[in-house]
Amino acid sequence: MSSNIYKNKKPVIFFLVPAFAFLAVFLYYPFLQNILNSFRVINNLGSSAKGWNDPWFANYVELFKDANIRTALVNTLKMIAATIVGQLGIAIVLALMVDNIKKGQKFFRTVYFFPIVIAATALGLLFNIVFLYDKGMLNQLREMFGAVKLVDFKDNAHAMLTMMIPVTWQYVGFYFIILITGLNNISDDLYEAATIDGASKWQRVRYISLPLLHNVICTCGVLAVTGALKVFDLPWIMFPKGMPSNSTWLTGTYMYYHAFESHNVDYSSAISVLIVVLGVVTAKIVNAVFKEKDY
Amino acid sequence: MKKMLAMLLTGAMVFSLAACGNSSSGNAPAQSGSSSEGSSSTESKPAEEPAGGPVTLNVTTTYAGEDTNAGNYQDAIAAWQEETGNKINDASASSAETFKARVISDFEMGSEPDVLFYFNGVDSNPFVEAGKVVSIDEIREVYPDYAMNMKDGMMGASPVDGKNYSVPVNGYWEGLFVNKSVCEAAGIEIPTADTTWEEFMEICQKVKDAGYTPIAASFAEIPHYWFEFCIYNYLTPATHNILPESVDDEHGKAWVDGISDMKVLYEKGFLPENTLSATDGETFQLFIDGKAAFLIDGSWKVGGIESSTDDIDNFTVTYVPGKNDRKSTDIIGGLSSGWYITRKAWDDPEKQKACVDFISYMTSDEMVSKFASVSATALKNGVQVDESQLSSLAVAGLDMVEGATGMAGAVQDQVTQEARVPVFNGMPDIVTGKADIATAVADLLALVEAGQ
Repeated sequence: MSSNIYKNKKPVIFFLVPAFAFLAVFLYYPFLQNILNSFRVINNLGSSAKGWNDPWFANYVELFKDANIRTALVNTLKMIAATIVGQLGIAIVLALMVDNIKKGQKFFRTVYFFPIVIAATALGLLFNIVFLYDKGMLNQLREMFGAVKLVDFKDNAHAMLTMMIPVTWQYVGFYFIILITGLNNISDDLYEAATIDGASKWQRVRYISLPLLHNVICTCGVLAVTGALKVFDLPWIMFPKGMPSNSTWLTGTYMYYHAFESHNVDYSSAISVLIVVLGVVTAKIVNAVFKEKDY
Repeated sequence: MKKMLAMLLTGAMVFSLAACGNSSSGNAPAQSGSSSEGSSSTESKPAEEPAGGPVTLNVTTTYAGEDTNAGNYQDAIAAWQEETGNKINDASASSAETFKARVISDFEMGSEPDVLFYFNGVDSNPFVEAGKVVSIDEIREVYPDYAMNMKDGMMGASPVDGKNYSVPVNGYWEGLFVNKSVCEAAGIEIPTADTTWEEFMEICQKVKDAGYTPIAASFAEIPHYWFEFCIYNYLTPATHNILPESVDDEHGKAWVDGISDMKVLYEKGFLPENTLSATDGETFQLFIDGKAAFLIDGSWKVGGIESSTDDIDNFTVTYVPGKNDRKSTDIIGGLSSGWYITRKAWDDPEKQKACVDFISYMTSDEMVSKFASVSATALKNGVQVDESQLSSLAVAGLDMVEGATGMAGAVQDQVTQEARVPVFNGMPDIVTGKADIATAVADLLALVEAGQ
């Protein structure tokens, strides 16, 4: 039975237009406006521009001079590395281990996925208590084992590590679920054949699981890296205003700070343009590195 | 058949979109045809006799969310609506940056409320400069009794032109909160109105020697309370609110000397060990837990301490010890928010009288006393508070304000958030000697000069 409805594309276009209009109004127009704003003087959220910057590209010059931007970029790169190694690496190990057990798979899926459903702000508060200087969980544990001096896990020496641990921990479950679903899609016949041929467990992982999981890992890699560029909520709860001593800025937190705290809205717009450029460049690099294969 | 189905679905979608688009029209505020948006007319006319029907006022306030007066506000507007038959379209929201952005944006777009309760410092500059709110003097030309129960000098004049535009309700004071048990354990007397800054330094040293943290403060996140009092020590109530013109003038030197005293507090170890990495919440907890003796904070902290402890009598509040010409009894305080009538509503004959009536109702002696409780007010007759209903800490706060010999507003309210950055956000570098104090102050003043 043929029908004209599939040949006539007009209804399809009609249904696509609202979604496109929505994106145009709430994404593309604000983005273009944001680029324009980065050349203007805007001292309050909601207020109109007081003219153009002098010179009009002053904010972009400032981006090169601003030491905090350099800190934010370096920290963001560190966060990307922590994400790939910590989130993706741990998720692969967990997924391979859970895939090898016969009972309790559902239990571990739920347990590892659980942090994802907790709000980042709640996690931030939770880890604030864990790392608290005075009577925080870690310092209490250290005292139990005989330590006499408290460690400030939020000082300059420890701050970045303290920030990365909860961020990494939060999303391990997300990639774990994607990876274990990928592992479940690998046919048992392949494993059975390898076993008959005398392959050890490690050889089955090395020569069957990991190669067939390659495309899934690539997808996770792209998601992890782009996610690291956008991370904001948990670091802001734990280390507001780049504390301590401007050492924990990320591009996202620094942009927010200028928009909502210091009210330097035009400079915040310039930072957001930088974030978009950084995101596009990084996505290109990641796509090249994690190139998917056709099987 | 499928074509018909597609047409039906399309029709349903278009209809639902249209319905969504119109859904708010039923609640849209009544707009008067005579509204003169953005009018800068200063010639005031009394409201013509209303057409007779009830008036709907659009009102925006910060009495929402966690605000302690959110319940009082809801009760008050319900009572006013019942009494007058008028209606309030309330768009109150918590006092956050998004709220400020919304208000400023509404004024820019010409969709401002009729009446708003908003800040009277630099935050109000955009709509005051644009002439979109009506001054108290102009309102009094038509309604001579308007806000006559308030002291004009305490209303919170606009930084733009020094005129009063808003009628305040409850203000704030800042003082030295004390944990009595820590003082007792350290064997020291609680500072009084006669304690000098030098004596306070000796007290702090004794507290430190006893193994406690003298001062609970996060210089990383909230250094501004100590900033205010430290520079106040080199100024007076009359001069504290004058911004320096340069780092070398009298006020500029006072700022540099005051910030130097903050550095001394850090160097002497009077602050928590992690003051440069701790949040304000963490250092406050030290104070509550009996590990720190002193905390400078505002009148809003009375409620915070009451809800954080089972033994409120263990806490009191006193004057921050003074230095040089500043007496210890010279405090920081003021009224930073108030009720405004917008020009748009004032020029609307149907709304003008209702706006005046509503604000008069919300700023009556009785209502202000209810909202203010222990905080400062501009009432000529003072607040009528039943002290038997208050905690000992709240009573100590009232006593402190009553015994004050001078009051100055927080000077930081005259400096925009962006301009504060070199000093406030740079405080960790300043107290550790990585940044020069005079340079930081000069950078702040340069941003003020640049209008940022």
